Amino acid sequence: MHSLIRSYGKPLTSLFVCLTAFWLLVMIALPQAFMIEHSLWHIDRDDQLGMKIDRAYSEMGLVEYDLKAAKTEKVRAEFQTRIDALKAQIAALEAQETEPPKIYGIHNYTKMSELHFTIFLKSIVFALMVTVLALVVCYPMAFTIAKLATPYKAALMMLGLIIPYAINELLRVYAWLMILDYQGVINSALAWLGLVSFEAKTWVPFLENPGSVFVALIYAYVLFMIFPIYNTVETLDKNQLEAAKDLGASTWKTHMRIVIPHAKPGIAVGCIMTFMLSVGSYSVPQIMTRGKSGDWFSQLIYRQFFESQNWNTGAAYSFSLVIVCLAFILIMMKSFKVGIRDIAK
Amino acid sequence: MRGKNVQLENVVMRFGDFTAVHQTNLEVNAGEFFSVLGPSGCGKTTILRMVSGFMEPSEGRVLIGGEDMTGKGPNKRPTALIFQNLALFPLMSNWENVAFGLEARGIDKKTRRNKAYELLALVGLSGQEMKKPSELSGGQRQRVAIARALAVEPSVLLLDEPLSALDLKLRQHMRAELKEIQRKTGVTFIFITHDQGEALTMSDRIAVMKNGVIEQVGRTDDIYSKPLTPFVATFVGENNVLPGRVTNADKDFAQIETAHGIFRGRNQDSLKPGNSAMLFVRPERAAIVNGTTPDNAFDARFERRDLEGAFVNLHFRLGDNPFIVHEANLRLHNGFDGPIQLGFNADDAVVMASGEVNDDA
Ligand SMILES: Nc1ncnc2c1ncn2[C@@H]1O[C@H](COP(=O)(O)OP(=O)(O)OP(=O)(O)O)[C@@H](O)[C@H]1O
Ligand SMILES: [Mg+2]
Repeated sequence: MHSLIRSYGKPLTSLFVCLTAFWLLVMIALPQAFMIEHSLWHIDRDDQLGMKIDRAYSEMGLVEYDLKAAKTEKVRAEFQTRIDALKAQIAALEAQETEPPKIYGIHNYTKMSELHFTIFLKSIVFALMVTVLALVVCYPMAFTIAKLATPYKAALMMLGLIIPYAINELLRVYAWLMILDYQGVINSALAWLGLVSFEAKTWVPFLENPGSVFVALIYAYVLFMIFPIYNTVETLDKNQLEAAKDLGASTWKTHMRIVIPHAKPGIAVGCIMTFMLSVGSYSVPQIMTRGKSGDWFSQLIYRQFFESQNWNTGAAYSFSLVIVCLAFILIMMKSFKVGIRDIAK
Repeated sequence: MRGKNVQLENVVMRFGDFTAVHQTNLEVNAGEFFSVLGPSGCGKTTILRMVSGFMEPSEGRVLIGGEDMTGKGPNKRPTALIFQNLALFPLMSNWENVAFGLEARGIDKKTRRNKAYELLALVGLSGQEMKKPSELSGGQRQRVAIARALAVEPSVLLLDEPLSALDLKLRQHMRAELKEIQRKTGVTFIFITHDQGEALTMSDRIAVMKNGVIEQVGRTDDIYSKPLTPFVATFVGENNVLPGRVTNADKDFAQIETAHGIFRGRNQDSLKPGNSAMLFVRPERAAIVNGTTPDNAFDARFERRDLEGAFVNLHFRLGDNPFIVHEANLRLHNGFDGPIQLGFNADDAVVMASGEVNDDA
């Protein structure tokens, strides 16, 4: 803080601090707080309410009729009090109908149906599988670019990886759709080889398999896995690889003992990013499955918000996902023994 | 003895159309402390990498213990390399570093732990086994690197300027220690350095390199007292240079006419009158004339005196040609005014065909 003031002066420093605070508050804290608040209450709509009101009205009609027929003052007063009581009851019921009460609690979290819970677990498992697959694909690539390729080739490979990211994510996913579709590129190739036939509909239904979503997710998020790993492997002293080799270590041994331990923070960051992005991805499963195979949890959340208009459940579902992601981050940090500082690097 | 001999047969190394090492034949004897000495960029590391197997020579072959090493990678050769920056594994403890070569060979943990502790004791690091390399001093790290290389029981230990990062005191200490380890283990050491003092104090034999060519190979004494080329004469130890032309020569001596007079020295290259030549005389072989006149005597202008402790460096000039004389520090060497007469004997000087001298001193 003092060094900031020294280098930028008071007005600029306070501007920086204000902007940072604003960002933290408005862009990070506020939406989350709003989400959490929504997830913690629900509106208790009583299905019987209309009927209760109707019944109260008809009872009041009867009492009013009795009131007119009443002879003595004493009986009349008795009916009048009953009418007043009924009026008060109707007013309360009607108020409840126009403005139902908010009830706070963890009801939104506990009422998840078995089906939704299965989808929830399935999505987590799928996202984990995507993460592991992406790691298996990306680690060798990152290592090759960082340590084996000549600078010129490394630059070309990097460019090859980055250029697709200039294209909108949806388009990239649609490209995979076209490749894997019933009458897509692969099936066309198979048909040309005479292995499948479009007329007999014996094409391979890639899109009905979660694997197609995996492929598209990995493709969509490779960079988030490759870059952190590349960055850490890049800083490994090449002499260490040579020293290991000189001491007789096999390639496998060198990676297990030297490269991977060194690249741990990068691997952790890559896994965290890929996991979070895949578990929360909506467009990729939506486009790739076209609703033909089961929902992913992200699609479920979307429905809660935009189809059922049930924001409270939607908020609770989203927040459950946030908790899973936080848990994943903590587990990664613990098992990779990396601190928040290493990750920030 | 564990050490093996190393032979380079007609070895050439090219990078594209740049030749880093010109055709070289070299034999390093089993169990000797051999240094490759040369200025930066002359190809020392390249030679070392060809012996260790990180590079295959463009031509010729490398033999270790008489066995052809062509096509064998670094993990298949009986060599161990100590890198210029040591390349210790920072995430492993010291003993794990030392044991890594054994781990790579699939030796069980208990055995390799014992071996590592033993080697760390050998290099004087008992008690530091569990620390990380980053928790050690520069000299201690050096020793871990040596222990790590020795753990795989190499026949040839290759050292690429391993002392260059240390300060002077530590460097001198490590020199003695390396020499001692070499004597104890009997492993062949090929030691690379650009520090001629280091090469002279440690080695049995030295190869002096320049621009990818080995100019001279020999015992340290011979390299110092019988340099074969102007470059070796000036790169190893100090030498006064007087360039000129041969006027008179026989089998043993040559007379050379310089801008500052006529001098006589040994005729090493069998020069003939008319040849362009250089005369070299070591500072400790020249003296201020005092009593008997030596074979060569001349007047010089005193410039300054540098005190080295046991001796002094007296800087003179003959015209613009510098001339240095070492004298034992037995009396005060100051108060010279006017020209001083210096001299040296013809036996102590050598006349060689002109060539490139080392001029970055
Ligand atoms: N992989 C390479 N590709 C191209 N040129 C190289 C390569 N390795 C070395 N060279 C060149 O070969 C020459 C010799 O290099 P080398 O590393 O053997 O020098 P050195 O004597 O070890 O120098 P230093 O004392 O500075 O370490 C240098 O001119 C260097 O530029
Ligand atoms: Mg070098």
